Amino acid sequence: MKTDPDVIVIGAGGGGPVIAKELGELGIRVLVLEAGPWYGNKNWPNPNENRGEEKESSNPNDLDGALYRKQITRLENDMNDFVSGKFRWGSADRRRGPWYRNIPDPTILWQTAGIGGGTIHYYANSLRAFPHAIDNEWPINYADLIPYYEKVEKTLPVEFAPTTSKEALFYYAAEQSGFSLNKTLDVTSSGYRPQPNAILPPNEHLMDPNYSMEEISHMEGCTLSGHCGQGCPYGPTYEKMAKRSTNVSYVPLAMKTGNVTFRPNTFVTKVLTENDVKRGKRAVGIQVRDTWTGETEELRAKVVVMAAGCIETPRLWLNSELPHNPWVGRGLTNHYMDMVTGTFDEETLTEIIGSPSINPFVGHTSGARLDYPGLGMIENIGESPGISAQTLFAFSEYGYNSLGESNQEMWESRGRLVGSELEEAMKGYRRTLTLSVITDDEVQFHNRVELDPHVKDEHGAIPLVHYTPSEKSKMRREQLVKIATDMLRKAGAKEIHRSDLPPNYYIHLQSTMRMGYVVDTSCEAYQVERLYIADNSADYNSLGGPNPTLTTQALATRTAEHLANKYF
Amino acid sequence: MQATFRALTDSLVPSTRRIGYESPINITDMGVHEYLIYGLDHYIAIQEQLHHITLPLAYPTAIMLDEAATQLVNTGRAQASPQIQFPGGGMFSRLSREDRIQTLSALENLAFDLYLLPSPFQNNGGLIKHVIDALNRFAMFGYYSEWPAYGTTRLYPPDDRRLEFFPWGWQQVGYPGVSLGYRDFRGMLIEYEEVKAKEVD
Ligand SMILES: Cc1cc2nc3c(=O)[nH]c(=O)nc-3n(C[C@H](O)[C@H](O)[C@H](O)COP(=O)(O)OP(=O)(O)OC[C@H]3O[C@@H](n4cnc5c(N)ncnc54)[C@H](O)[C@@H]3O)c2cc1C
Ligand code: SF4
Repeated sequence: MKTDPDVIVIGAGGGGPVIAKELGELGIRVLVLEAGPWYGNKNWPNPNENRGEEKESSNPNDLDGALYRKQITRLENDMNDFVSGKFRWGSADRRRGPWYRNIPDPTILWQTAGIGGGTIHYYANSLRAFPHAIDNEWPINYADLIPYYEKVEKTLPVEFAPTTSKEALFYYAAEQSGFSLNKTLDVTSSGYRPQPNAILPPNEHLMDPNYSMEEISHMEGCTLSGHCGQGCPYGPTYEKMAKRSTNVSYVPLAMKTGNVTFRPNTFVTKVLTENDVKRGKRAVGIQVRDTWTGETEELRAKVVVMAAGCIETPRLWLNSELPHNPWVGRGLTNHYMDMVTGTFDEETLTEIIGSPSINPFVGHTSGARLDYPGLGMIENIGESPGISAQTLFAFSEYGYNSLGESNQEMWESRGRLVGSELEEAMKGYRRTLTLSVITDDEVQFHNRVELDPHVKDEHGAIPLVHYTPSEKSKMRREQLVKIATDMLRKAGAKEIHRSDLPPNYYIHLQSTMRMGYVVDTSCEAYQVERLYIADNSADYNSLGGPNPTLTTQALATRTAEHLANKYF
Repeated sequence: MQATFRALTDSLVPSTRRIGYESPINITDMGVHEYLIYGLDHYIAIQEQLHHITLPLAYPTAIMLDEAATQLVNTGRAQASPQIQFPGGGMFSRLSREDRIQTLSALENLAFDLYLLPSPFQNNGGLIKHVIDALNRFAMFGYYSEWPAYGTTRLYPPDDRRLEFFPWGWQQVGYPGVSLGYRDFRGMLIEYEEVKAKEVD
């Protein structure tokens, strides 16, 4: 961009590209700054090896599906390694370590820097909130959100997940436990249903052996490859990839408006403000640091939107020394999750699904769900072996199964499995159904992101993160774990393992800059004019349990309207 | 240090593998201990005055494991074997597999004198818990992901690694690896348009 943009958006993850596209369509000129690399853009043919010739990209012709496929290798270590993977929280240069966060507890904090942010590795479950968790709680109503949900669902687009073996088994298990199919988008009672996913329906020729898989993978539609978590490079072009991460959906749409420029490898280190005698503080621009060269620069705009995610948005507020607000960084929720895995024998499986194995790696990584308003939800997860072993058998607040009490009533094993136990459990991998328990997590003031008083990195004081679940969240999680265990047992699982995940498992981070406390109902900061938020941090609560991204995208769509009406 | 990490992975991941008709592969050949060392040494990057530095964690972690093992042995909670299974290793590598797990568990429960640990772990319970957990996760992700199959290029910069064979971990569990797709479509239970239409009624 040669002249100052009208709006600067910080972060191109779940929310940023959505507000950028909406503003761009209204003729507002937007510059989006993203800390991480850009995969699938011709300006950066080797995004992890060098800075490239260009600084930014606004031309949709720069986007290249073949290049994307080459870079997104779908190998779990290459893609998902927290230290050196392509999808990690760190700079484009993987020879360097990740960006450090101090979390003094067993922790997985799973975020990705890059165009697309957390949606490049997400499973694309695109859920509306539970209406009861919005009405009478949030400062806005569920009905206010519906038109925006619909708009995002159409744009991504969202479709219910296809059934593969693991979903068939999930539905059977839910039925056996007495639940019935809930044909709805707005959930008010418990029941199971396919996940509404931002994934294109399966290619129409998928089951036709006259088409080779290679051919099909270059055509439109999901191929059921099961690589959602490793990124999805299947489709005819970059913007037609089957999984609708923002990088392949909203980013190209934003570029097509002719008003939006994206600049990767650029870390925003400060929000600049000015004092207006009459109206108080207002945002006027930002300071950035190039992650390759370390060069810093100041950029100005009429409005600044923070969409850096639940950790970095409050960190940036605090590092910018914006006005004190006790709720900045406070109220962090993470859906206090757990995992329960059932291993079935071949006969049982043949009887139920007509084949002797489930093959959890087939199909949408998460295609089926059970909603349970009041408690949260349960969904199936079918990850690759390394990720599965790490989450199911290495990460637990229970400690080591072998050191625990024997005679567990509910589960054959619990906690970490090592050595031959681990080997045995992983041998059953192809016959496992894993249920992820996702809790309606209560907001608490003491759960927080703050600045570490002692440690800095090249972008300023680093975030210090603290989370412990409330008694209510704990109780709800236990109840959901029971339901999940019961589902597996009733479906005939022979062995059931409970991971008993530690509280600091961050997949769904929410509500660290809450509406009604830090931002108003249009997501503008109460204390800083012209400063907006468009990421998961603006949520008032954890939505009752549903996956957060669709709500962030709906809110970002709504915020674009408010912002444009007020300032343009 | 290498010996300590060998002893660690030996206690966490399956020890020897017999794959197909080939001879057993020892997990040291899989190099998972080197994966841990790499991960720990690239984990924490911070700014100290004008310098951007990476704080290597592998060496202090090895010392911590040995120190904790020594404390367990001294208090009769574990026994050191006279046999040397991991040449060059300290006390941790002389414990039985079970006692190595006990040591990790004691560390994670902070059940010993934290003052005796090396920096940055000394009196730093949060970091200890964080790193002990990471050891478990790294070991399992290293073992069951494709990392060992990068063979001679394992420790190259990430973009220079090349797969040299099909990953053992994947072979063991029956994961077919990178896939273009699967023909396992069993239909749509419900569809978006149908559900939307119903709601309008
Ligand atoms: C394994 C996994 C599966 C998931 N599956 C689902 C799912 O199926 N459905 C769902 O709803 N959610 C899912 N999630 C959660 C989902 O990823 C997040 O809800 C979503 O990405 C949040 O969007 P956001 O805009 O708040 O933040 P992010 O997506 O994290 O975006 C923030 C962006 O800002 C950039 N950034 C941060 N700081 C700065 C800075 N200072 N300067 C410049 N740029 C910056 C980051 O690099 C990032 O790209 C999943 C998460 C994980 C880990
Ligand atoms: S299963 Fe996931 S990764 Fe595979 S084609 Fe479908 S959306 Fe893409």
